[in-house]
Amino acid sequence: MRAVVYRGVGVVEVAEVSEPEIEDPRDAIVRVGVSSICGSDLHFLNGKTPLEPGETIGHEAVGVVERVGPDVARFAPGDRVVVSFVIACGGCWFCRIGQTALCEDFRNLGAGIFGGGLAGAQAELVRVPSADTNLLSVPDGAPDERAMFVGDVLTTGYYAAARGEIRPGETVAVVGAGPVGFSCVQGALARGADRVIAIDLEPERLALVAAAGADAVNASERNPHTAVAERTGGRGADVVIEAVGSAPAFGRALEVVRRGGRVVVTGVYASETVEAQLGVWWARGIDVRFTGVCPVHAWWERTMAELEAGRLDPSPLVSHRLPLDEAPLGYELFGSRRATKVLLIP
Amino acid sequence: MALFPSDEWLRIYRDRINGSPEYREAAATWEGAVGFVFEAEPDRGIPEDLWLVLDLWHGECREARMVTPGEGERAPYLIRAPYFRWKEVVRGQLDPVKGMMQGKLRLQGDLATIVRYVRAANELVHLTMQVPTRFLDEPPAVSG
Repeated sequence: MRAVVYRGVGVVEVAEVSEPEIEDPRDAIVRVGVSSICGSDLHFLNGKTPLEPGETIGHEAVGVVERVGPDVARFAPGDRVVVSFVIACGGCWFCRIGQTALCEDFRNLGAGIFGGGLAGAQAELVRVPSADTNLLSVPDGAPDERAMFVGDVLTTGYYAAARGEIRPGETVAVVGAGPVGFSCVQGALARGADRVIAIDLEPERLALVAAAGADAVNASERNPHTAVAERTGGRGADVVIEAVGSAPAFGRALEVVRRGGRVVVTGVYASETVEAQLGVWWARGIDVRFTGVCPVHAWWERTMAELEAGRLDPSPLVSHRLPLDEAPLGYELFGSRRATKVLLIP
Repeated sequence: MALFPSDEWLRIYRDRINGSPEYREAAATWEGAVGFVFEAEPDRGIPEDLWLVLDLWHGECREARMVTPGEGERAPYLIRAPYFRWKEVVRGQLDPVKGMMQGKLRLQGDLATIVRYVRAANELVHLTMQVPTRFLDEPPAVSG
């Protein structure tokens, strides 16, 4: 079968690889209908996260179950499913309380040794371990191109908004208007935010969030602190969702939140450090919440229901649909920010 | 009227500080320059950050001038805020120490030291009101 294969820093190609097999009785093999390129795939491409040449890549996919192992109870061949970007065991203490991203056997598809050695989803077929946990049925009303987002970015945004415990009438600021920020905007509106202010530097991204209902602030044209203060009687936002994952974005989130407000940090961090005036944080009564990796399994049914109801719609994010064979072009477009989201069709 | 901030405004301000017995007493043991960053508000006519430094030493202002970011970053205390927050300070609408505790003004440096000199800080604010000031984002007054 064909799959996207990492060849070295900055180089991917589509190559013939062995078809996946059922390796564990709980496995399912899914024939991929649509997969996509995620921002975290670029970390592998750029060598920030280790991947060995020859390993396959990708973790966002929707498709149809092809085969199942004997212990899979909830799915059968022919079922249309979305795959979770977090591969959890489903049975450990953390999984049982819904914190599946903290699973004792946390893995990712297409993430090399970092993700437990599982093959990637940018392929014609993908093996999904613990299928009863890591697959979700897709209802008839949800097209593949939308449903795929439930397995990763859309649920990540919805979860971030939920962690903000947004109350009706509240103002939410979202720092970063990329795919996660976009999903946070929709999630915040779906969860009752009165107003969502989205802050970014890129006009194309801001246009997308504005169309989704956000009050878009271009930080190169307007001071975000001033813009948020103007809209909140000088106080700041009740809830801020940081959806970038950089020290300046974290600082911006603290800057625009009101005293006693909540900061939800969903951007991905690795080795960044910040200087913290703890006395100021304490005096301001700021409640900072790190989401970590989204526990998709605990939230994706709610996300799917919101998608079916039309309150969440990731389709504006899709800028390119390419055949799987053109994945290298997709990486080039996405890596150079000429694409917001690239779908790959096997 | 002097444009706020500018070297002209800062010269007048320095003279006001050095003419204040209240400041001299309240800051008698203060040692160290304080940098101020007026963060850009492009839509209000402030396209870039503006930096200034007050060199304050034992109740005296030894120097006050606009600086480059590189010079400003050497100050042991650095306070940042958008321009509109500084206007609130100069107009007496925002207490600077409260502003720092509330996150409206962001301090790099030892907050505890600044808080110990709250009287000196308040006097510095009080003295800004004695400088005839024109704000960058407001049109000059038309005399008739």
